[in-house]
Amino acid sequence: MQLFVQLCVDGLTLGCMYALIALGYSMVYGVLRMLNLAHGDLYMIGAFIGYFILQWSGGPTALALPVPLVLVCMFAVAAIGSAGIGVVIERFAYRPLRKAPSVAALVSSLGVFFLLESAAILFFGAQSRSYNTESFLSFHTGIHLGPLNISLVRILTVVIATATMIGLTVLVRRTSLGRNMRAVSADREAAEMLGISVNQTVRNTFIIGSALAGVAGVMSGLVFGQAVSSLGLVAGLKGFTAAVIGGIGNLPGAMLGGLVIGLAESFTTGYISSTYSNLMVFGLLIVVMLLRPSGLLGKAIAEKV
Amino acid sequence: MSSIGVDEWSSRVREEQSSASRPHALRRHASRIGWWPRLGVFGVVMLLLPHIGLSVYQEQVGINALLLALTAVGLNIAVGWAGLFDLGYVAFYGFGAYVFALLASNQLGQHGIHLDAFLAIPIAVVVTALIGVVLGQTTRRVSGDYLAILTLFFAEAFNEVTNNVDSNRLGGPNGISGVDPIHAFGSSITTPLGYYYLLAVVLVLVMAGLHLLDKGRIGHAWQSVREDALVARLMTIPINRVKLIAYALGAGVAALAGSIFAASQGGVYPISFTQPTLVLIYAALVVGGTGTLSGAAAGALALTVVTELLRQPNYAGDVFYGAILLGLVLTIRPRIRLAAMLGTLMVAGFAARAIVEAADPEWAAGPLQSGGVVRTLLGHWLIVPSSPTIPGNWAVVVLVALGMAATTTRGVVRDICIVGAVYAAAFAWEARLAAEPSITRQMLIGALLVSVMIVRPQGFFGFRRTAVV
Amino acid sequence: MRTRITLTLIAAGATLAGVTACSTSGGGSSSVSGGSASSGRGFSSGCNATIAFIGPYTGNFAQIGEEQLHFTQYAIDQYNHAHHASIRLVEGDTQLQPAQAVTVTQQFISDPNVVAAVSGGSSQEILAVGPLLSRANMVDISGSANQDNLTSSGFTSFFRVVPRSSLQAQDISAYVLGHLHPKKSVIVDDQSSYSTAITSQLLAALTAGGVSVDHESVSQQTTDYSSLVSKIGKDTDLVILPWQIAANAEQFAQAMQEQGVTATIFGTDGIFSPSQFNAAGSYVASFAPDITQIPTDQSLAGVMEQKYGTFGTYGPPMYAATEVVLGAINKLCTAGTPVTRENVLAQVRNTDDSSSILGQPIKFMPTGDLVGGRYFIFKIDADKKYTVVSGVS
Repeated sequence: MQLFVQLCVDGLTLGCMYALIALGYSMVYGVLRMLNLAHGDLYMIGAFIGYFILQWSGGPTALALPVPLVLVCMFAVAAIGSAGIGVVIERFAYRPLRKAPSVAALVSSLGVFFLLESAAILFFGAQSRSYNTESFLSFHTGIHLGPLNISLVRILTVVIATATMIGLTVLVRRTSLGRNMRAVSADREAAEMLGISVNQTVRNTFIIGSALAGVAGVMSGLVFGQAVSSLGLVAGLKGFTAAVIGGIGNLPGAMLGGLVIGLAESFTTGYISSTYSNLMVFGLLIVVMLLRPSGLLGKAIAEKV
Repeated sequence: MSSIGVDEWSSRVREEQSSASRPHALRRHASRIGWWPRLGVFGVVMLLLPHIGLSVYQEQVGINALLLALTAVGLNIAVGWAGLFDLGYVAFYGFGAYVFALLASNQLGQHGIHLDAFLAIPIAVVVTALIGVVLGQTTRRVSGDYLAILTLFFAEAFNEVTNNVDSNRLGGPNGISGVDPIHAFGSSITTPLGYYYLLAVVLVLVMAGLHLLDKGRIGHAWQSVREDALVARLMTIPINRVKLIAYALGAGVAALAGSIFAASQGGVYPISFTQPTLVLIYAALVVGGTGTLSGAAAGALALTVVTELLRQPNYAGDVFYGAILLGLVLTIRPRIRLAAMLGTLMVAGFAARAIVEAADPEWAAGPLQSGGVVRTLLGHWLIVPSSPTIPGNWAVVVLVALGMAATTTRGVVRDICIVGAVYAAAFAWEARLAAEPSITRQMLIGALLVSVMIVRPQGFFGFRRTAVV
Repeated sequence: MRTRITLTLIAAGATLAGVTACSTSGGGSSSVSGGSASSGRGFSSGCNATIAFIGPYTGNFAQIGEEQLHFTQYAIDQYNHAHHASIRLVEGDTQLQPAQAVTVTQQFISDPNVVAAVSGGSSQEILAVGPLLSRANMVDISGSANQDNLTSSGFTSFFRVVPRSSLQAQDISAYVLGHLHPKKSVIVDDQSSYSTAITSQLLAALTAGGVSVDHESVSQQTTDYSSLVSKIGKDTDLVILPWQIAANAEQFAQAMQEQGVTATIFGTDGIFSPSQFNAAGSYVASFAPDITQIPTDQSLAGVMEQKYGTFGTYGPPMYAATEVVLGAINKLCTAGTPVTRENVLAQVRNTDDSSSILGQPIKFMPTGDLVGGRYFIFKIDADKKYTVVSGVS
């Protein structure tokens, strides 16, 4: 029984991490109908930014500033940094390709992915950097339920992911930016004719999506402890899977997809074998796609003839 | 923006006309020659190339280029002609390679099965084509981007299986080594030159065969399915069967390439069939021009040669500086302005170096990475600090920033940005990029993909397609 | 339109230039340490030869190759400084892909200036390029490929300064059975060829010794080990991690600490890294004593740490391998013999160095393996220091 609960906790944390990445993916896809393969690299950059903020505040063992302040700084700077880079990528690598076939934008995003990953190795080196979270945020601060320890960083992950999902849903449904996003997503030309600035809407979408990736990166550094240039590939893939399982373009779906994957991985490792955890995730994806092609929460859109 | 109030058909015709009025010069010249003679010339050139004296390395590069061309041509069937998404293509490549490896090595059974290439390769092709049919079946229920995703994960599943499942037979991460070379007619192909010739011949034959198919009924069926699947179905084209054939054929070509790859390498390893390989095949196809056979082959050859050039430190420098100068020459008119900018750049460079040398010699004492002519030209012009790593990193950032600024500004500001960008480029290269050739190569490949897509999204040989909204 | 014609012409011109230029000068090799252009045209290069480094320098496995390359470069810089020579290094990036390894190896074989190679990376790449190097009589010394079959596949020019993986499995299982006596243990591999080879050997040895061993497997790209740790649970005594990346092992240790799992970690030489893996109470195997504790090596360790940051287990053997090659070249130069591939190979075969930075002599068996190779077992104590507990003679 304890194993089951522990696996639930592990799965939920991992799932929320994937959900954060998936939310960014879903947003961009929803508005632009574009698969941004460079999204995972923004996550990696966020993890590095968080690491450097930690170093500049004195390093994990000797922080010169109070821990909550450092955490807030890490999240804020990573969000801003990733958002900045995301905007630049959108403006120079994707905007010129808006009218081109979608495979051109795909290849362009591949190019950006290579560029960012190699630039990270050039600037930061290939060695992984350790956050060493234990030194400033002990594992024992958190909830204790008998023999079970749920550390603060894990609780933080779940809280941030849930808050983000709620915030984004509110954004999309209630604000004018959200309305613009929905309009551009439904019919770009009509939206433009109605006076919505497509460029601005897309830019804002990228800002939010990339900032999310940056925050997820810092979160990953805190929970999983490493910042390394090869983070982008697997994170991108898993986040993408989560977005698709939940229904790409659908925000609560992204969260659900993330949780489904996280729990699937966790339970497969715990009860079957860690060897098959990735395979199980892919199997799940294929099953979902065959039974409900638009994802768990996605709406089947009838194609206009 | 397309015209408002005009029906779709008219606006499409109008767009096609406007793009057709300035046809691609190369295509115009090429279309005068005819497809078959062009293929013949290509084949003859490829077969005669080794006679100018190629080293083993160049033959190997040739093999890589031809393998990439073969896989790109196969990918073109499903992606370019039938308009389907196939992000799992690399799994077919790997599947063919593994089947060949299992049939032509010591892996299975007591002493292994050592089938002749005449048997092993067709078996690999047929089995993989069947897998292609299985994958194609999934297209019944999904389409567009969902299809892309599904095929992507098929490739991931293949990777997981070859790495982790049944290590005794599939070899796990160690793969299968000791794969036989190609045996045929009692002799075997064991040298890179042999495989080069084999691949050249196979590529020409495959391209010829596919061209015939393309001009035939199935080719027209693919085109209809690509342009508008619903209309195709209404015109009684069996779209599911057509799609299945596309997948199966593409898988078969990939398996052929995979088998030859396995034989030439003497082994198969799961890591060869992962995302980076898929990216390369896609890049080759898209850069060359999706939807055309010549585009696929040309893109593959060009990409392989360019990435190999970038691997050689001397040539990488030449390519880098050459590309910059070329970019300047092509985009800045009139020539007077270009001359003025280059002049300002020279003077500013000399002045800056003189000032810095006078102020603090340490700052200019660093070594230049390039050799020969470039070194003598730049030696007195460029500042290279003696601990160049951090300034070099900053120079890369400055280069990117100024480059982006140059594309968005106009007039004098733009000229200043360009001058600054060129200086930053030279500085970044000498101080940092040339010292890390492998990393720089990856960055340049990424930059190349992005720039080619922006300048010519349809690829070099591709047709601009109008998407009907 | 002019643009398109020009671009196409450039593409054609570049291709032609590449092909013809490559064929005449036999490939370029620029100096990484600031030397001048070489003049040798035949397969002998005078005393200014070129050494090739084959390894993964970019891509997902760059961590390993980067450290190896830096140590190789430093060895060459030291040599050039001491002997007023200008030996050059060319790097061939394989991204751990055997196909790329074949391409870069052919590049080096075709370059007449390259007389020897040192390789990092993994055993798969050696399996793919071994035959090529043997045919070209070009020596290749590996600092990290330790699969057994590499020295029994008939590669006549392959050597390595690290002992075979079966020796490691032997030494580790001897220690576990002799000193640790676990009731329940788990071995987790990281799906690399290095890891799976030693895992199967350890499983066989430990099961034969009567220990119950479970087998798990994670990918090197995994970031989250918490569910695996949960499964391992509190009743496991020993967790064996034959991994390649020390930072991952440290992550695993932290996940264990978070969940209060108290099993002892036993790592193989891949995670030997006093700076990156220092979970107290763990054991780590290594093919050499800790170089930061060998007095003669401390200046080297200091310099490398200052220039490139912390290092682990991959750098020092590359330094040793490069020194063997440089030693061979030096002997040929001082004797006035031409520095050709065959001569370097013959010289390397006869290597008999009484000491090296790895703290032990280097001499090769006819198969290419290191004579007297064996593994040392280290224990990490509470203040994160590595101390030898077994293997020291």
